[in-house]
Amino acid sequence: MRRTVLSAMTLACTAVLVSTAPAFADGKTPAPRDPSSAATPAQSAEPSRGPAASPVPSQQRTRPGAATPVPKQEPTKTRDRGQVGVIPRGAPNTGVTAKSSGSDAEGQLIGGGAAAALVAGGAAVFVVRRRRATGA
Amino acid sequence: MTPFSRRAFATAAMASLLVGCGGHPARQTTAASGSGTTSPPYPTPVKAARPLGRSVPVRLRIPAIDVDTPVMRLGLAPDGSVRVPPVTEHDQAGWYQHSPTPGQTGPSVILGHVTVGEYGDGVFRHLARLHRGDRIVARLENGTAAAFAITAVRTVAKADFPADDVYGDVSRPELRLITCGGPRSGDGYRDNVIVFAALTSAGS
Repeated sequence: MRRTVLSAMTLACTAVLVSTAPAFADGKTPAPRDPSSAATPAQSAEPSRGPAASPVPSQQRTRPGAATPVPKQEPTKTRDRGQVGVIPRGAPNTGVTAKSSGSDAEGQLIGGGAAAALVAGGAAVFVVRRRRATGA
Repeated sequence: MTPFSRRAFATAAMASLLVGCGGHPARQTTAASGSGTTSPPYPTPVKAARPLGRSVPVRLRIPAIDVDTPVMRLGLAPDGSVRVPPVTEHDQAGWYQHSPTPGQTGPSVILGHVTVGEYGDGVFRHLARLHRGDRIVARLENGTAAAFAITAVRTVAKADFPADDVYGDVSRPELRLITCGGPRSGDGYRDNVIVFAALTSAGS
């Protein structure tokens, strides 16, 4: 009997340990901290630039300084001619990973796996006990 | 080792195997195979349509990936980079207001998120799935709509962002859709996914 209990505990511990390991590994992904690139309040900033955003392309080109808060170092290319009035600096940052969007599905899989392991273990213990009881 | 112990170990091994298999789902569904061009930038001759007058885009529709979203205006950040929609507005795209409006001659630039961390998927989550010939429709403030056909979809490293291809002058009305893609890098992505499209028709 003691053996049976110990075996059941071993199975349960194994299932729990193995199922939690992937969760720890995923926890190493970066925390969802406020992303600097995406945190810029674009929408709220727009009204202040409202007048400069008037739909007159020629004005945008001749008054690039008024159109946007260009820093003193002028990191962007401001062009007098050209279809894009001000060429932004660098590449757009349009993705924040932080928490994996698939974490919910992942959690379900882990939970399901653990449950399956426990069921399998329980079934094994049941069979063993039955056999021992019947003396097989 | 008794038969009982053998069975117990066998069961434990099976349990480990089961859980181990279930614990590693294929979550990198968006990760592109790496930098590189999935199709050339300007390969497709699209029947040119007459350019439209200037009118700000208010809505963007991409039927192939079930996108139908409002469009906000985007300017420049203090560091000179282009602003992107706030993470709380991850379901919206943004038009770069220093580029032509959709339908005007020149490259009109629209940006959107691919994912936004805890907020989930961005509006351009599946941009990389688009193909040459897919349709994009920008609805404009004046009530008209500009329809574009995709000419190329490129995935490029951010370090080698093709500014000239994206922002450079062109001889016809074109559209650029930009988001992030490729392998995850820190809390962002290594690459950009850029969709190039050309105006095919305009109407109300």
